[in-house]
Amino acid sequence: MTLLAYSIEWFLGILLITSSLGVILAHKPVHASLFFLLSLMTLALTYLELSAEFIGLMQILVYAGAILVLFMFVIVLFQDAYSQISQFPSNSSFILLFFAGSAITFTMIILGILLNGFKAHNAALPDGYGSVESLGRFLYVDFFFPFEAVVLLFLIASVGALYIGKRKE
Amino acid sequence: MHCALCFSLFLPLAGFLILMAFADRIPRLPTYIISCATVCLSFISFAAILIIYTYTGMLPHSDTLYTWIPIEQLHTDISLRIDPLSLLMALIVTGIGFLIHVYSIGYIEHEEDFARYFACLNFFIFAMLLLVLADNLLLLFVGWEGVGLASYLLIGYWYFRPAAARAATKAFVVNRIGDFGLLLGLLLAFHLFGTTHIATISEMASQQYDKGDTLLTIMTLLFFVGAIGKSAQLPLHVWLPDAMEGPTPVSALIHAATMVNAGVYLIVRLHPVFMMTPQTLQLVGVVGAATALYAALSAVGQTDLKRVLAYSTVSQLGLMFLACGSGAFYSAMFHLTTHAFVKALLFLSAGNVVHMMQGTTELNKMGGLSKNFPYTHWLFFIGVLALSGVPPLATFFSKDLILEQEYLAGFEVLFYIGLAASILTAFYLTRVYCLTFFGTAKLPPQILSQIKEAPRIMLLPVFILGTLAIIGGFLGFTFGKTPLLEGFLKEVGVTLAEKKLSSGFILTPETWYAVGGAFFGIITAGILYLRFADRLGAPLSILKHSFYVDQLYELIIVTPLKSLARLITNFFEMGIFDGCIRLVTANVNRTASLLITMQSGQIRSYAAWIVIGVVVLMIYLVF
Amino acid sequence: MNLSLLIFFSLGMFLIGIIGVLTKRNALVFFLSIELMLNASNLLFVIFSRQWGNQIGLAWVFFVLVVAAAEAAVGLAILINLFRTKQVVDIDQYNNLRG
Repeated sequence: MTLLAYSIEWFLGILLITSSLGVILAHKPVHASLFFLLSLMTLALTYLELSAEFIGLMQILVYAGAILVLFMFVIVLFQDAYSQISQFPSNSSFILLFFAGSAITFTMIILGILLNGFKAHNAALPDGYGSVESLGRFLYVDFFFPFEAVVLLFLIASVGALYIGKRKE
Repeated sequence: MHCALCFSLFLPLAGFLILMAFADRIPRLPTYIISCATVCLSFISFAAILIIYTYTGMLPHSDTLYTWIPIEQLHTDISLRIDPLSLLMALIVTGIGFLIHVYSIGYIEHEEDFARYFACLNFFIFAMLLLVLADNLLLLFVGWEGVGLASYLLIGYWYFRPAAARAATKAFVVNRIGDFGLLLGLLLAFHLFGTTHIATISEMASQQYDKGDTLLTIMTLLFFVGAIGKSAQLPLHVWLPDAMEGPTPVSALIHAATMVNAGVYLIVRLHPVFMMTPQTLQLVGVVGAATALYAALSAVGQTDLKRVLAYSTVSQLGLMFLACGSGAFYSAMFHLTTHAFVKALLFLSAGNVVHMMQGTTELNKMGGLSKNFPYTHWLFFIGVLALSGVPPLATFFSKDLILEQEYLAGFEVLFYIGLAASILTAFYLTRVYCLTFFGTAKLPPQILSQIKEAPRIMLLPVFILGTLAIIGGFLGFTFGKTPLLEGFLKEVGVTLAEKKLSSGFILTPETWYAVGGAFFGIITAGILYLRFADRLGAPLSILKHSFYVDQLYELIIVTPLKSLARLITNFFEMGIFDGCIRLVTANVNRTASLLITMQSGQIRSYAAWIVIGVVVLMIYLVF
Repeated sequence: MNLSLLIFFSLGMFLIGIIGVLTKRNALVFFLSIELMLNASNLLFVIFSRQWGNQIGLAWVFFVLVVAAAEAAVGLAILINLFRTKQVVDIDQYNNLRG
């Protein structure tokens, strides 16, 4: 049991990394989005593991169910176009990108090394932590204003997306 | 008296300001009335001040109008001094100024820009009055500069003529050299005496210093340099002949009757100080004599009507300095007065001729004009006789006084030079008279018949001046009693010899020399130019170009200065200063173009920059 | 519950997202990498919320999720528009804003 409990993070983590790598290393964008789906699922599992049930559910519903679907639609729409990419020269300065990429990798690695042996504080969880009811109450009572603001934001975003995407005659 | 003084001083200034402010909006007649009225009223109030002054006992006094620099010892208030010397000069300035204003009304008839002309004339009157009425040297210097400015403005009245513009600049620059000397002298005076108040300086000079003190000599020398510049003596005389480019009334007013007298006035004003420095006085006398002879010789060879008169002015001023040099300050002032009348007369009658001939001043275009100008040629003749020294016309008395004074004071060489200059004066004046009014006419008959006498408004001032030229000599000469002018200028320190000469009919041998010389000059020139005018060729070119002094200056001074200016403009200005600025802008441009490469529009590059920023932030926060 | 281990994996996911942003030229995969980065930060918030026993982190994740959805929608709309104009999916060609 402890072995399983110990290794579940390892399992989830490796799955996460692998699917992320898959996203960026895939040749076809469809494959990339499928790998993305896999990583989303893994994330949902991780959230459940961390006792954040509501968030895990939301991840599936919103991310995998809406955002990913949107992405899929657009990818399918532009299926033919991606192959033309190799015909154009790369305009961005390679040196700059290489430098940036290596800098961040290097820094992250050092950060990781520094964080080694970092003992997490395992707090006692309150009752109903992460459940729909308690999180809902939290949102509606303590975070009411951001909640309503986000609703407004949604409205604006949907109107905006409609307007931008409209075919101009 | 205070009110009258302010009134008479500032009225011309008010005229100037009004005319400048409303230059294009006032029609002709009001402009004439305003400008002439201001000077006329000024003259009348000065005459009134004179009467009051004589009857209240002739006490000189100063009026402080305004505290300019409130440093106690500096004495630089705007304060005006009323004493016989300044009153005399003020009367000359406003009197002759008024006559010339009236004359100018006729002269400026055909010009469109009359408001500027009259405004500048009024400004000149104001500046000259400021100069002669000043109580301290600093205010005198303000007036000095003011008349220089007015001279520049008026010589360059026809500024679109390149010759006139050049002449105006030359006048100003040469004057400047003199002004520099005057300014240094002023500063030295302040250093030595701690004040610039003229009366105080005069007192302190005689009390605190010995005769011939070095610093005092340097100071008076510097003042004399200023006088040389303003009164066009050797070597700073070059601007006066070229200043004839201006309108003739301007030449009459500024360069004959008033402004050029400022140098003489300065020396006479400071005569106690000059008496303490005999070396400077000697130099004054020598320079005056040399200038008189030089200018007289140059005048013989001129072919331009006004330039002859200009050189004549230089020569007569030389005589005045000659008088100052031997300590005869009174005779210098007397000659100044009579010369003002006579020279103005000569210039204005010449102006009649020039104006009626549409601006020609060349002698070889004139000739036989006596029939066209019935009145003018008689008036000119009166002027010629007067200036030559024919008794009993005005200048005879004053010139005679100077020459005798020279002889009696012991400077015999200077006397002979003065005599030679007088003979030459008679000669060239008669020459110019004959060449202009007699002889064969150089113009074709149809043009000749169209030239008429000048209009009445131009003739009237000339008549008045002619009368003054005839009777003016008796201001300084009577049989028996002390003459008017002498009694008036008593404080100027009339020497014993002058006293004897001017109140009696003493006919010394020198007088006979002078009179004989004058007649000799007139007769010789008359014969030469009436009979043999056509057979004489052009005058000697060395005389015509006044011994090539102008060309010498051009060579030694003007050309190197211009090359230096060109060097600075082309090399320093363009190369170094501009180069520095261009360097800065080029670098800024280069930096900008370097920075532009950051804005490539590539999203990935922007993302890369953001990532680099994040790395920097992380390093800063974590490590 | 070895939370510290999960932090490393979150960091790794974030790094992979950045590499994807810098490397890929297909606009859609570019977007996907951005979503990866967002998810990595979400994970970090949930981890720390669990650590302290607070629900604030969960609320934060909630909002991030919502905003990411809205952003994805609008972003894809823009992308479609761009594609209609430029006819390519290569983000290197979307350089009209160059100075």
